[in-house]
Amino acid sequence: MCILCGEFVTRIHWTEKHAEDKARASIDAGAKDENRRNRRRERVRRAAVTNEVLRHYGLKVSDWSGTKYVLRDGKGRSELVQDLGSLWPAAQKLTGRPLDPLDPALHGALANGG
Amino acid sequence: MANTAVLVNEFGEVGLDHHLLRRADEKTVLLEHGCVCCTTREDLVSALLDLLDEEDKGRIPPLDRVVVETTGLADPAPILFTVFSHPVLQHHYHVDRVVSTVDTVNGELHLDRNPESTRQAAAADVVVLTKTDIAKSGEIQALRARLRGINPSASVIEASLGEVNPEALFNPASNWSPTEPSDPTENRPGTVPETFVAGDVRHVSRTYSTSLKFDGPVDWTAFGTWFSMLLYARGEDVLRVKGLVDVGEAGPVLLNGVQHVVHPPEHLGEWPDEDRRSRIIFITRGVRSEELLASLEAFRGIVGAGPRLLEANAPV
Repeated sequence: MCILCGEFVTRIHWTEKHAEDKARASIDAGAKDENRRNRRRERVRRAAVTNEVLRHYGLKVSDWSGTKYVLRDGKGRSELVQDLGSLWPAAQKLTGRPLDPLDPALHGALANGG
Repeated sequence: MANTAVLVNEFGEVGLDHHLLRRADEKTVLLEHGCVCCTTREDLVSALLDLLDEEDKGRIPPLDRVVVETTGLADPAPILFTVFSHPVLQHHYHVDRVVSTVDTVNGELHLDRNPESTRQAAAADVVVLTKTDIAKSGEIQALRARLRGINPSASVIEASLGEVNPEALFNPASNWSPTEPSDPTENRPGTVPETFVAGDVRHVSRTYSTSLKFDGPVDWTAFGTWFSMLLYARGEDVLRVKGLVDVGEAGPVLLNGVQHVVHPPEHLGEWPDEDRRSRIIFITRGVRSEELLASLEAFRGIVGAGPRLLEANAPV
């Protein structure tokens, strides 16, 4: 259950499964805190590496309270997304163009530092 | 095969298989409405939940395994999705493997004509060649080469007169054959199967398989960004992905996906063999090996390592 929006989240995206499982399974209090910190660090890092791709599309994503991600464009519009599974369709909705990792234009942008 | 329940799916009003299998095994449950994957996913959920319930109440012995038999037209992806995504099933069931049977006599024809057949071969961890007893000489080898061209990661076993050794079918070692084909007479990495020589244009969409490794440890978080983006953009054409990914830890991450559906990645404690390099197989429809390699090369700075091609099989 997401305590902020009341949404019952039963599906954990595969990209977050490992960190989520570890954060939830720990019994030892010290390990639990460490795994929770790792989970949070991984979310921040996920947003950072994803931003290297999103820069090409004029978008930016950031972790939102450790529960969601918020995706923004340059015009001040934003979308809340649960995970990378829902981030890409939301990004396409904001930019109005398809996002494809096989797109040579994206490859060129990445080669030039985004 | 003790303590194994079998869920049978079939078209038609007379559940003949159901009666036959009930006599053989009291744990058989008939799924109604034909196709498990698309129209009766809820039936699969309820059948699997019923088994849990009956086991819990002691009406059936503790189960070690459930075999879901689908129709010949089934797409395996929705079945995997059902188990991975259901709030109860995902905690009680673990998808072990996808087994596809291929009719040795008519297999080439099915693979030529039916996209479903190619999807099933691509999704398979184990392929069982049936009717090998009535196949002409050469048919078995030709079909093996064809299947290896579609899915180099699947192990292939032969069934004569419908007989197959359950140990071979469910042997844990057969679930992953990353670099070495199980049969030394099969095509080796770097060779092109003889059924895919130039000019041999097939009726179904072009299916490519790409085996690659990375030249260093991969940043798993960044790989997730690339792969989730690929599945978003091209998921329907990514028929299968299977691999061991070196993420710089003691063991690799076991990656396994069928179209949009990704198995929960397993972070293994150690490598299964001496080879400690990442190796991933992509089976794609219409997406060429060069496109995948160019994309991963472009993402090198983000992912932390670049791709190296091990083997590519192209239809033309």
